[in-house]
Amino acid sequence: MTKKPLTLINKKNIRVDGRKLDELRPIKIELNIIGNANGSAYIEQGKNKILAAVYGPKEVHPRHLALPDRALLRCQYHMSPFSVKERKRPAPSRRETEISKVIRECLSPSIFGEYYPRTSIDIYIEVLEADGGTRCSGIIAASLALADAGIPLRDLVAACAAGKVEEHLVLDLNGPEDNKGTDMPIALMPTFNAVTLLQMNGILTTDEFEQALNLAVKGCEQVYTLQKEALKARYINVKEEVEEE
Amino acid sequence: MSEAKRSGQFVTPGERLGVIEEFIPGYGTYVEQSFVYSNIIGRVLLDVLNKEVSVHPLAHRVNVPQVGSIVTGQVSSVSSKSATLRISKIGKKILTGFFTGLLHISAVSPRYVETMFEVCKAGDIMRAKVISDKNRTYQLSTSDTNLGVISAFCSRCGYVLSSRRRQMFCPECEKIERRKTASDYGREIEGSADQHFEGNTT
Repeated sequence: MTKKPLTLINKKNIRVDGRKLDELRPIKIELNIIGNANGSAYIEQGKNKILAAVYGPKEVHPRHLALPDRALLRCQYHMSPFSVKERKRPAPSRRETEISKVIRECLSPSIFGEYYPRTSIDIYIEVLEADGGTRCSGIIAASLALADAGIPLRDLVAACAAGKVEEHLVLDLNGPEDNKGTDMPIALMPTFNAVTLLQMNGILTTDEFEQALNLAVKGCEQVYTLQKEALKARYINVKEEVEEE
Repeated sequence: MSEAKRSGQFVTPGERLGVIEEFIPGYGTYVEQSFVYSNIIGRVLLDVLNKEVSVHPLAHRVNVPQVGSIVTGQVSSVSSKSATLRISKIGKKILTGFFTGLLHISAVSPRYVETMFEVCKAGDIMRAKVISDKNRTYQLSTSDTNLGVISAFCSRCGYVLSSRRRQMFCPECEKIERRKTASDYGREIEGSADQHFEGNTT
């Protein structure tokens, strides 16, 4: 075991992982990596490693769930048993069910579901390694997977957390910071400046809340450029649409 | 983001392409508060003559049956007046999932058909055209020479039937059956039969 530092932020305002207060973790994105899915994305954000896959639009099973006017959006967020220090039981926990719900609700405003009535769009988010802020990383990956599947989107959804750790407002909290401080993940459609997810775990004053929100929005905008770059890197040299065998 | 887009430029969903006064929104675009945005990954196509902006898709294209599309699938059940088809292929593209289509006896052929049992049997591979997507079902039609059963199986021994004049003949047990076959019965399937079965097992 490595010795844990006593404070998460030192006197020079440098965090445990060497970042500045308003700095994102390094993000690496890959696209179209799951052959059987219609669209997929893989993201590494710091120590987070997350896969997202999108299936559909396809026929809804069971049939009675189908919506006559739009596509049914289903989302499953799941953490692998090996994603955390202590083995996580693979059955969906209360936390995972909740995160699945909030991710579904934060992605649904970006999707033109009305183009595909009576179908379902299924999103699977698998956390391979978790180190705080997995819901944000999951949203980033899922939105890219949706775009990769060719599903019409109003905008990509970018997500980022801000929060308060040891009386400092910080961006993109990692595991230890998340456990100790206040965490506020948000998701944003940057083109319209529309917040689609806003949660908070902990206590912030009204002023702190506003500052944290602005910080998180800035983080989302950085994430958005990275998302666009990833799509560009994957598709700029593609001459024709990808043919499925 | 606000600079004018040029034809051939790479765009991602949510990029502003212009205002509604400039262009008619075409494929891959949508309008929100008088601005035209892209909604897919692709390249911008500015049609200056027709004043239309569209996005040529670079990623996968969403594959959903539409009225007029030719679909291929396996017959999953047959009753005297209708049959259901598990659609596994739209045009030449194989689906990741399945769609269910309904073939009614009235849309089988231009001629009178007594019963559905002499059109197809469960397990056959059929090609059909989507004629309607109303009322929660894809209505299919096979009333064209290139539509109908493209591979059939003997109902007694399961061997692949061969087409002999206007009848179907089982080379294994010499049973004679009837089907509404496509004009290229038994030819297309040689190359793609494996794909169909592969698709059905997953």
